[in-house]
Amino acid sequence: MYDLLTGPGLWLSIGIFLVGLTVRGVLYVKGLNWQLDRVAYRAHPKAGIRGAFRSIFFWLIPFGTRSWQTQPFMTVLFFVFHIGVICIPLFLYAHNLILAEKLGFSFVSMNQTVADVMSWGVIVSAVFLTLRRLVLPEVRILSTAYDYLILFLSAAPFVTGLLCRYEIGNYEFFIILHILFGEILLISIPFTKLSHILLFFLSRGQLGMDFGIKRGGMKGKGLAW
Amino acid sequence: MPEPTLCNKKPIQTEDALKTLLSDTGGKQYYQEMKSLTVDSRQLWETIQKTCKSRLRTWLNICAHCGMCADSCFLYRINNRDPKQVPAYKIQSTLGEIVRRKGKVDNAFMHMAMETAWAKCTCCNRCGMYCPHGIDMGVMFGYLRGLLYQQGFVPWELKIGAGMHRVYNAQMDVTDEDFTETFIWMVEEYEDEYPGLTVPVDKVGADIMYTVNAREVKHYPEDLAEAAILFHLAGENWTVPSRGWEQTSLAMFAGDWGACKIQVESVYDAMERLKPKRMVGTECGHAHRATVVEGPYWAGRKDGLPPAESIHYVEWLAEALRTGKLKINPEKRIKEPVTLQDSCNYIRNHGMKEITREIVSYIVEPGYFIDMSPNREHNYCCGGGGGFNGIGLYREQRNKALITKRDQIINTGAKLVIAPCHNCWDAIRDLEEEYRIGIRWSFLKPLILKMVEIPEHLKPKE
Repeated sequence: MYDLLTGPGLWLSIGIFLVGLTVRGVLYVKGLNWQLDRVAYRAHPKAGIRGAFRSIFFWLIPFGTRSWQTQPFMTVLFFVFHIGVICIPLFLYAHNLILAEKLGFSFVSMNQTVADVMSWGVIVSAVFLTLRRLVLPEVRILSTAYDYLILFLSAAPFVTGLLCRYEIGNYEFFIILHILFGEILLISIPFTKLSHILLFFLSRGQLGMDFGIKRGGMKGKGLAW
Repeated sequence: MPEPTLCNKKPIQTEDALKTLLSDTGGKQYYQEMKSLTVDSRQLWETIQKTCKSRLRTWLNICAHCGMCADSCFLYRINNRDPKQVPAYKIQSTLGEIVRRKGKVDNAFMHMAMETAWAKCTCCNRCGMYCPHGIDMGVMFGYLRGLLYQQGFVPWELKIGAGMHRVYNAQMDVTDEDFTETFIWMVEEYEDEYPGLTVPVDKVGADIMYTVNAREVKHYPEDLAEAAILFHLAGENWTVPSRGWEQTSLAMFAGDWGACKIQVESVYDAMERLKPKRMVGTECGHAHRATVVEGPYWAGRKDGLPPAESIHYVEWLAEALRTGKLKINPEKRIKEPVTLQDSCNYIRNHGMKEITREIVSYIVEPGYFIDMSPNREHNYCCGGGGGFNGIGLYREQRNKALITKRDQIINTGAKLVIAPCHNCWDAIRDLEEEYRIGIRWSFLKPLILKMVEIPEHLKPKE
């Protein structure tokens, strides 16, 4: 089982992830329409690029936008969660070992203590993000089973990963479960809301172009996000 | 089944149809008929397939349901934080549902969607600034309004308004003759005070082509005279078109994209005909949005720009004050607590936050200006935007919506509110009438006229 998951399973899931996400990106851009969207994308490339860049940049900075500033609790949860879910898969020493062995390349590896803190950060913030859905009426009304499934898909590899890290329970079992959850996550990204790992940038960039080209970006200092 | 006579899917195309619909006071029969209006699900779904492309689809699909948009919406805040007023919920439960059901929705659903689209959203676009994914629900509500209009589920006043644009090329029954006659008549009233004051009609190659809001012609003709006087004092080479003078678009509020195109093309035709260096529009927010920001797209202009450079009145005024074309008598500057209303349609949605504050710096004695909180592109809607002011059916909801602006104004302690936008001006007037907080409100033109210096050579001779 382990060989299956770290062999063809790994290739397949990474392949589906990359190809699927590329398709989503291409379809998104192809589906943009200057007249329907009412944004002259091509006519003002400079203003468009500037708007897109600003729109993405400020939102990637913790407390970089008014929205982040006015909701500090959510902002902390958001960034702790997202920094962890991006950095751990890529920069964990154990992951890089597998990458080097299976794919012949690896990323830089992070310090184990940092990795521990990040992983726990993901778990804790996932718990609070779930509680937020359950407790806050304005989030509860929006939440569907699908949203909880997304949270589960994202957090499951971390829960199982930490069980392996501390060798709690049956390591052989949990490592297989961990890899399985990781691969399920990779495969589900292009087909679910998790596609936002790419579409976030495209959607933010699009709105940035909208404001940058059409809605005032060519006048004054630009929008204070 | 034949379509009802007043409430149906057909746009108003003739003066007779317009008069018939107008005679149905308050839309009593119109709304009665709406209860039996059928939904053409096939047409609805076909339209969605043709027009709901990756931007809107992605917005609907990737919404993380995080609720961060909730607090950005003044209607959510003012309605006791009702979860059903969360922007994401409002759009998911209407447009989202129509798309998920492939257009198979019923009459009751469309009634709910209509109320949501016109009484729970003013298309102020503030939520778009607070969503991490960059989902602009105001844009989506604009789109939804188009679908609802197509199916005949549109508030009575806006069906009429869109019809007005189709019949008169104006939001009210003001003809081209009414416009020029009223303008000339108003200017004549002031000839003695301002020798040489004229209104040049259809002058080719002027520096400025001025466009207005039809209700200035019908209800506030003073505004036309004020505009003429200020251009005159500034020594501008200006003109008004005898056709294509109306800048507003109730069709935009209604979601009648066909009428939007007809309306904006009438203005663009005037630009092509008169070849002005620039167009200046009056102190109106949605008119600017319709003619300058969105209009080029309805007219199919690939560069997203009108045929001539088009600016808002505040841009012209700031420039005239900056360059000394208009000079303010420092003695007469405003010396009382004063605040400024940021119109969503050209502050948030056309980047003029510094321009209006520059004007304030010239006309208000230092120390007397107090900004609202929040302000600039983060300001709240006046409470009556997006057509909300004009819909009798939703008057109660609108009056409640005004409370946000009322409290913002009260918190500044200002006694005077500068409101360079017709919709905001109306909303602030209505909130004073409704809640009596003891404020005055004004467009810029009358304020400037009180303090502008009249150059020696333009003064009347004894």
